[in-house]
Amino acid sequence: MVAQGIAEIFYYLGFVTVSTVGVVILLFLIISPRDPKPTPEKRAAFESGQIAVGRGRTRFIIQYYPYLLMFVVYDVVAMFLFAWALNIRSLGFNGTLPVAVFLVVLMVPLAYALHLSKRPENW
Amino acid sequence: MAILTSPLFFKIAVFPGLTSLAIIAALVTWLDRKVTARVQLRIGPSYVSPVGGILQSFADLIKLAFKELIIPAKADKFFFVAAPVIGMILAGGLVGLIPFSPETQIANLEVGLPVFLAFLTLSPTMVLLAGWSANSKYPFIGGLRSLFQQTAYEIPLWLSAIGVVMMAGTFDLLKIVEAQSTGWFIIPQALGALIFLITITAEMERIPFDLPEAEPEVIMGWQAEYTGFLFLAAQGAGFIKLYVFSALFATIYLGGFLGPAPVPGLVWTLLKTTVIIVLIILLRGSFGRVRIDQLLRAGWTLLLGLAIANIAITYIIIQGIPSI
Repeated sequence: MVAQGIAEIFYYLGFVTVSTVGVVILLFLIISPRDPKPTPEKRAAFESGQIAVGRGRTRFIIQYYPYLLMFVVYDVVAMFLFAWALNIRSLGFNGTLPVAVFLVVLMVPLAYALHLSKRPENW
Repeated sequence: MAILTSPLFFKIAVFPGLTSLAIIAALVTWLDRKVTARVQLRIGPSYVSPVGGILQSFADLIKLAFKELIIPAKADKFFFVAAPVIGMILAGGLVGLIPFSPETQIANLEVGLPVFLAFLTLSPTMVLLAGWSANSKYPFIGGLRSLFQQTAYEIPLWLSAIGVVMMAGTFDLLKIVEAQSTGWFIIPQALGALIFLITITAEMERIPFDLPEAEPEVIMGWQAEYTGFLFLAAQGAGFIKLYVFSALFATIYLGGFLGPAPVPGLVWTLLKTTVIIVLIILLRGSFGRVRIDQLLRAGWTLLLGLAIANIAITYIIIQGIPSI
């Protein structure tokens, strides 16, 4: 037993994938022109006309890393709420109270983390 | 040959599927350029046309298809090519879930709304992959910005969509539209709709949230190394998303295909979608770009707080004030 719509969405995705990849291969092999001997300058990384120096994947700032850490936790929390939201009419207040407590318990550390994230020396 | 004349094949291949998607994406590109030009007191595209330069984006499409493809020497070639193509497939796949009218919906999934949001979660990953595989500084910065931006908008986006699920009591997009026959959800869900609009604008990387591809700051960001049709794929995915997300907004907040009888439902959906598209384009003409720290701060405090407040308000609308 396949749930409704599953087959259709896979047909559609398959059709889109095959068409897009087909067009890309067609463009790549036939239409798009080739340069048989590209110069090193042409294939160099773009740095606004300067000669590219150093690695492409440079060191990057870790300044917003706390947000990534919080995201890993709280993105999952948003998922849990969907199950509750779907059945809200049948759950009533007794079903909602644990969710509210759950949210409060999770929002306190979030508020603390946001408070700390203003001070980069803590991370 | 029976399969070629079946209604499903027509929906997949013509409308709302692939052919119409390509044409609409080109028309949305034209609309974007034209409306932005009008906002800035310019004329915009005007030559390639029967009327108002409407064929300009088709001309651009042909031009870009004939450009040479330059892959940087140090790039990770497979993923460099694959990332924008997969991004475009993901954006195009979304349209299969939208009920333009009860008959013109490709796949009526029971879990349509979460599947839509889950698909859309994948596209910043493709941006990061594109930025990483190019092995160049500007794309790398753009990709990382996209990653940080995703953490800012994604949780408010999901939480604002929860308000709609609470009102309708279903994930099925067709049933969500039918639940709005007594009143559009934008009225009880005004706050949620506002958050949803802001966060989908951030997801589409459009001004004021176009940090991963900011031209003056990081020179198109993750798209900096793309040429020819790969640039077309990278840009095209953005415009397909503009169309599909506007259609989703019209579906879950503006009553989708519901409207006065003589006009068919399909026209209503497209009309509402066009209104939202123009609204999002006008944002581009009205606001400056936000900084990444402002966006992260706003996403984690203001938008998240308002989204949770919206859930509480929705609960009170449905159940009344809880009596303990």
